[in-house]
Order: sequence, then structure tokens, then C-alpha cells
Amino acid sequence: MTKLEAIIQPSRFDLVKDALLQIGVGGLTVSEVRGHGRQKGHTEVYRGSEYTVDLLPKIMLEMVLPDRDVDLVAKAILKTAKTGNIGDGKIFLTKIDEVIRIRNEERGEAAL
Amino acid sequence: MTTPADTALNSGYYTREFDRIQREFDSTGDGKVTARARADLVDAVVRAHYHLHLSAHGAPSENFCVVALGGYGRQELFPHSDVDLLFLSENNHILTNLRSEMAALVRALWDSGLRISNAPRTLAECGELRQDNIEFSISLLDCRHLEGDLSLFRRLREQVLPHLVARDRSDLVRRLLDLTEGRRAKYGDTIFHLEPNIKETPGGLRDYHAARWLAVITELDKAAHWPEPQDLWPARLGAEASSAFEFLAAVRSFLHYRKGRDDNHLTYELQDEAAALGIGAQPPSALLPEDWMRLYFRNARSVDRLLNSLLDEAAPPRTSLYGMFQDWRSRLSTQDFSVVRGRIYPRQPTAAFQEPNALLSMFEFSARHGLELSGEAERRVTDALPHLKEETLRASGLWELFRRVLIAPSASQAVMTMHRLGLLDALFPEFRAIDSLVVRDFYHRYTVDAHSLLTLENLDRLRRPKEKTEPEGWDQKFAEILEELEKPELLYLALLFHDVGKGLLPGDHVRGSLEAVERVFERLSLIEEDRETVRFLIRDHLIMSSTLLRRDIFNTETVREFTERVGTTERLKMLCLLTYADVKSVNPEAMTPWKAEILWQLYAASSNFLTRNLDEQRLQPGEEDKHRVARVVEGLAGSADPTEVKEFLTGFPRRYLLTHSPKEILTHFEMARRLKANPIQVRLDFRQHFFELTVLMHDRPFLFASLTGTLTAWGMNILKADAFANSAGTVLDTFRFADLFRTLELNPSERERLQQSVSDVLAGRADFHALLRGRLHAQAVRPPKVRVPTRVHFETPPSSPTTRPGALRSTVLEVITHDRPGVLFEISSTLADLGLNIEIALIDTEGQKVIDVFYLTSRGLPLDARLQAQVGNALLQKLR
Repeated sequence: MTKLEAIIQPSRFDLVKDALLQIGVGGLTVSEVRGHGRQKGHTEVYRGSEYTVDLLPKIMLEMVLPDRDVDLVAKAILKTAKTGNIGDGKIFLTKIDEVIRIRNEERGEAAL
Repeated sequence: MTTPADTALNSGYYTREFDRIQREFDSTGDGKVTARARADLVDAVVRAHYHLHLSAHGAPSENFCVVALGGYGRQELFPHSDVDLLFLSENNHILTNLRSEMAALVRALWDSGLRISNAPRTLAECGELRQDNIEFSISLLDCRHLEGDLSLFRRLREQVLPHLVARDRSDLVRRLLDLTEGRRAKYGDTIFHLEPNIKETPGGLRDYHAARWLAVITELDKAAHWPEPQDLWPARLGAEASSAFEFLAAVRSFLHYRKGRDDNHLTYELQDEAAALGIGAQPPSALLPEDWMRLYFRNARSVDRLLNSLLDEAAPPRTSLYGMFQDWRSRLSTQDFSVVRGRIYPRQPTAAFQEPNALLSMFEFSARHGLELSGEAERRVTDALPHLKEETLRASGLWELFRRVLIAPSASQAVMTMHRLGLLDALFPEFRAIDSLVVRDFYHRYTVDAHSLLTLENLDRLRRPKEKTEPEGWDQKFAEILEELEKPELLYLALLFHDVGKGLLPGDHVRGSLEAVERVFERLSLIEEDRETVRFLIRDHLIMSSTLLRRDIFNTETVREFTERVGTTERLKMLCLLTYADVKSVNPEAMTPWKAEILWQLYAASSNFLTRNLDEQRLQPGEEDKHRVARVVEGLAGSADPTEVKEFLTGFPRRYLLTHSPKEILTHFEMARRLKANPIQVRLDFRQHFFELTVLMHDRPFLFASLTGTLTAWGMNILKADAFANSAGTVLDTFRFADLFRTLELNPSERERLQQSVSDVLAGRADFHALLRGRLHAQAVRPPKVRVPTRVHFETPPSSPTTRPGALRSTVLEVITHDRPGVLFEISSTLADLGLNIEIALIDTEGQKVIDVFYLTSRGLPLDARLQAQVGNALLQKLR
């Protein structure tokens, strides 16, 4: 099993979510996050006061998938989250040893 | 022979009887009878096990007894409610000696299928008010003898508890109020939840019981015997609440049976089922889910009203400071209203309240001082409702009366009371469409009317300084925007009606709301300019949140598109606050700091765009602006030659069309036509709260500085100003100013003299400097109350692909400083002395803060870095 974490632009979230639903992704955790990669921040002036927009708003998606689905899901995210601009985000993949469903203690892929 | 006690001990007895009671409920739907029947059943089981495990094992017949507490004590034991038992003795050693027998009894009861909560206590312990377990003392108020020493129980009920209540009544009431208020606050202090917990949410069973306890605590030591709480309640409210209890009892029994546990959450699915079965309806009949929920809310409202009425009476002064505060509030009394313990009592006769003026004045008083209405005042309102007639309302100048409520600091509190008493519906029947309306979606937690009213409350919260300390300070930023609004009442009006369409045209609620609000406009006789603002806010109330979530807000094109739709800074501010209040009122967690941050960032970016990109937003005769100009020509309705109008408009910033009505544009156009006869056109108008001076002439150096100097010399405080020029070099300057010394207001002839003075200065026939020096000298002695640090910021927007070849490019200068007489003259004369040309000026005053934006050129070019530094230093020196 693989844990997939994707950091995406908030404006692409609806598209990504619909694409994931369409390919049958069941479980999904969504968080409102802030951060920066290469995009960094910038400084703005409002009413004569400077403010720094250094941590930009992003959406983080987390899901744990059977290994066979990882490529399909990653492709769906890449296709829908990409604008081609800096700041489109990243996908992180991590191997997962075990999953336990708390309700009935099922383990492994059955618990996903 | 088998005794009833033996029967009750049989395995399966409790389950069989439980099922029988359920079958009876299924056939009758009577929740009250069901709860009583289960209490009787549990009595039989507890008694049988008492004899088996305690009497038979040497429990003393004296000085020990078993007592039912809480709901079980009241004989209101719902199908899966816990069973609360008290093991009572006068001596602790008896309780210690019986520990194993009591444990055996509790185990046996658990095995029978009962969820037991038990407490061994001495009589003395029951007489103490335990601060760490106030719930136990409250549960004793419903105690009932089950088995054992009856005289011991009587000592508890007839001596110990009355003594406890008499001694600690104020403490007990205060703790009960704390518990009640804490619980209600957890549920947003509203009965209008889409999926309510019918026990815990306001208007639920817990509130009904709190009303019982309050009545008992208040009267116990005065009465010779234990009072019946219902007899102590106000008759009408009590009768309604008792009927509501029967409804809630039926719903709770239904929920317990369907869920198989003590879960009182009324989910959408169970609402459907309860509605189809007509649970609690009299007579029971199938209803539509939304109608059944309206029945629920009507009953919850009855309980809520009873409890609120008792809470008002019961609230004791907490500290001497609180008492002093209450006393201070009583000094707010006027000839029309008395204020007693923070409540409004009308002094006018009942008949006076049949006039909208008197009614709405009372709500204005409530909104201004944050005071609740007394029961007497509420009765005056409900008695007046049948006498309110449409024509009386129109004739009363309803908008001015309602507007005063909306601009007061506690507007939401007053409007919520108006809604609760039926006055809001009487004034605006359109609001009835969303009364208790459940619209099911994943995010909304409240009914549509509660959500709409909550939006007002969330704006009011921004006005309160003590609540401006939210994490990360986002609320502080939105509070500042709210303070800057020119007409906050329009925002409140739009919020109140932004969702009424959900009850009128569910498929297209925005259109439904827009149609409904037109009728509201008519009733309020709102002026067209204000109507257009409210229409815009309702029509576009979702665009800011959808832009936030579906577009890249850091993309200039997104900001450009968004601001073009919004148009002006004032509208942007209102839309931003509307979005803030709307999202925050969906549910308590909806407005996360993340969302607040991106909302503010879109606001700031759009605000900057609106003030810094006017060079690129100039009206052109070509395709792009064809429709904009055509709309103006159409608005002038044939009163001007379209070609001439187009020529006049060409080169003005697009903002000009958005900030002026067709009537004003026609006035300006006519002034422009008269330029040939008189090259200096001056006009003075008196608006509702300020004067407006309009000057139209061909551009020349020192023009703006001369105008600001003349107005300052006359003692006028400039609040806002715009300076625009069209392609023909005609300058249009408008100044809104306050007549600080009421010179023009008290001496109408002075208005003519001011216009003449302006003309003379502009024509070079008079010099304003001498008069100005005297004026500034006289006013300079007053130190500012708040000093806003002076800031100067330059920006030269780069050429964009959409910039027309040869288009004028300016440097945008933003000056922030504290307001004082003559400040605009100081700035504009400094710029003029440096030989700069003001292409556009946007002058704004917000409280003590002056925010001036100038588009500057030097010999037709943007300012280079050296010149920017020179201008910056000169301004900082002048404004120091």
C-alpha cells in the first residue's frame, strides 16, 4: 500500500476531487494548508502598509491506496491539478506497512 | 404462588415489557405515556432486585433507602435513557457495610438490560452544594422514593433539600444558569439547527427541564410544600411549553426506538421517517419533512421562550460590579422607555405602539444600547401586530426607522427579537418564506432564517472591540473594513434578504431573492442608487467565495475580472464583508483562518487593483467600451446627443461610470456643454449628510490645489474627492465635504458666495492664501485625537499587453496620514509646487485616517526614482 499526499492549488481542488471520485477513490482526507516551495512569496502594499504573502494557501489531499491504483490516481491528479505555472504543487508517495480499521480491527487492503 | 416481584425477576421480563411498551408507542405515538410506562417498568425491576439483593441480605429497614433521581425520578424515562439511583443513608458506615449488596443490585440491573448510574450518599452529603458536581444537586430536585426507609427519604425531601435551596439558592441558580448558557452556547444559542439534538439544543428537552428546576428553586422555600413547576410558569408560555414537551417526548421516544440507544440526534433520514409517521403531530398524520420540521421548530420555540422568560427573572446580580453596571444601564431610561435590570419597559400607552414609529423606536433603542425587551414590551409588540397596515407602514417612512435599527451596534439582537415576535414577518412578508426553513446540504447547520440572522450577528461582533482578538487578527482586518463603510445599513439589508429566494424559488434562489427584494424596496421607498447596491450584493453574493475557491487569486487576470464585475471600492468592501458573514454563518467552523486569510488577500488585491489601475481602465470609443457607453446613452433617455455624450466620456476612467448615476452624468455633460459660454463651471449640491461641489473646466496647473485650498479656507472638511480628466482635457473634480461650522446650512446665501469664491479663485480674480492662513492658524491649535503615522508609497504599473500604444502612464502615489483641516491642500500644493500633474485623484477619509491616491505625471511621463524620492521627502516633511 502507498500513501499519496498531494499539495495542490485551491482553485484546482474541485476538478481534482471530481476526477478522483470518477476513478473510484473512496477515502480521502482534505486539509487547508499554507506553505511554499519554489513559488516563494511576495510583498504587497495595502493602504500604505506592507504585508508579506510568504506562505501561500494550498489544499493537501491525503489518501492510502493499493499499490496497483497509485499510477492511475497520480495521473488523474497530474491531469487536473496542472496549470503549467509555478505553484501547481507536488505529489508525495510513501510506502505504508499496515492499515487497521478501528471499528472492526480489519487489517491490510480490506481496511482501506 | 408467583408474586409480581418474582415475575419482575424472570429473565426476559424486562425485554418483553420493553417490547410491549414500544408496540403501544407505535400504535399511539404518545411519548409521555411511553416514558411513564418505562419508569413504572423499571420501578418493578429495581424493587424486585432490591428485595433479592438488599432486603434478603440484611439491609436495615431503617436509615437506608433507594431513591430515583433525574428523569427517572420524574417518571419520564425514555426508552434508552439511563437510570439514576441514589443509595441514601444517614450514616456512612451503613453505606460502607452494604457496598457489596449494592454492587450486586447494580450488576443484576445491568444484566436485566438497564444502564444504571448510582451514587451512595449520606443525608448530610445531599445537603451540600458540591461545586464540582452541581448536576447531582440538581438531579435531587426530581428525587422519588423507591424502596427502604420512607421517613429517611422524607427528611431528604422535606428538610434537607428545602434547607439547601434556601441557603444556596443564588449559588444554585447561578450555576444552573452557567450550565444552561454554556450548553446553549455550544449549539450557537439558536433553536434553528438543521439536524438538532432534541435534548441538548436550545428549545430542547434539557431547556424544558431547566425551566422546571428554575421554578422549583425560586419557589421552594416560599411554598409550604414542593411546588408543581408548571403552576409557577407564566400561564400562556407554560401551556405552550407543556404542549411542546409532549411533542418532544414523542420525538425522543421515536429516536430511541429507531436508534436502539440514547441518541437524540434528529438526522435528515429520521426527519423523513418521523414526518411520514406524523410523530408528535396532533392528530397524527403524515407530513412533508419540511412541514414536520416547522412543527418541531414551533415547539422548540415555545420551550425557548419559556426558558428565556424565566432566565430573565432568575438572573441574579453576580458581583457588585455587575450590579453597578446594571444600575448604570438603568440611567439609559428616557421619557419613552425605562430600563430596569437591562430590560426595556415602555412608558407610552399601548395604543401608541400601533404606530410603526413607536414600535421601531423601541427596537432602535434596543439595538443602540444592546438591551433586551421586557415581557411587557414584548406583549406590546405582539398586541400591535394585527394593527400594522401596509399603507401605515409606507406612510411612516419605514426605511428611515428600520435604517436606524440596522446602523446601531446591536442591530442583530434587535432584528432577531423582531423576528421572534413576528414583527419582521409583519413588516416584510417576504421573510416568511424562509421561516424555519430546512434546506439540506452538507455544510449548513442552521435553518435559512437563522443563518440569515446570524450573518447580521457576525457583523455586529466585528463592531465590538472586545471580540477583535481572534487568532491571527483576521477579524480585526474585517472590522476595519466595516468601520469604513459609508452605508452599512445596505449591507445589513442585503444580508437579511440574500437567501429569501431559497423559500420562494428553490431552483434559482438568487433570482427568487432578487424578485422578493424588489417588493421590500417598494415598501421601504428606497432610493434607486441604494436599490442598485442591494441588488448587486444579492445578485453577486456568491462570486467572491467562488472566486476564492475556484480561481487563482494571485493571478492578475483573476483579480481584473473580479474587480470589473464589482466595480467600486465601496461595493468591494460590502461584498467582502457579506462573504465573510455568509461563510461564517454556515456553521461555527466554516470560516477557518485559512479562508479568512485568502478572503482578505483577494480583497486587498482587488482594492489595490481598483485604485492603481485607472490609467488602463479608461473609456474608449472602440468595441471594448461600446456597451458601457451605450448603457449611459440609454439611461439619458434621449435627453442628450449620443455622439456628443460619447465624446465627453472618452478618456474618463471607467470608474466614472460606476460611481455616478445617469442623472449625475447628464448634469456633468450639460455643464461641459456650457463651457463654451463660461469656461469655469461650478455647482454645489446638498446631499443627505454632506455637500458636494462639482467643478468642470479645462486643465491647468495648480487646479486641484486651488480647489482644496479654497474649500479649506471656507472651513470645509473634505471627506472624499475625485479628479478625472477626459481625452479633450476637460477636468471634472468632485468634492464631498462636511460643513463643520454649519456656515452653508444656516446661511443659504453663503452657498452662492462659496460657488462665486471658487470661480474667482479658478479665474485668478481672487487669492485664497490670506484667508487660508488665518483659517489654518485658528485650527492648528487642536491636537489630533488619534495620530495616524504618515506613509507614502509609489508604484508605477508596468506596461501590460493590454496597454494601448501611446497611452498615458502615470505613477500612482498613495498617501496615508491622519486627518486634519487643510491636509489635502498641503498634499496637493506640495505636488503642484514640484511641477507634477495630477491626472487622477481619489481622496478618501476613513475616521481619523486620510487615504489619498494620486496618479501623477511629470511632463507627460511617470515619475522616475529620483523624483519619487524628492516628492516623498517633501510630503513627509510637510505632513510631519
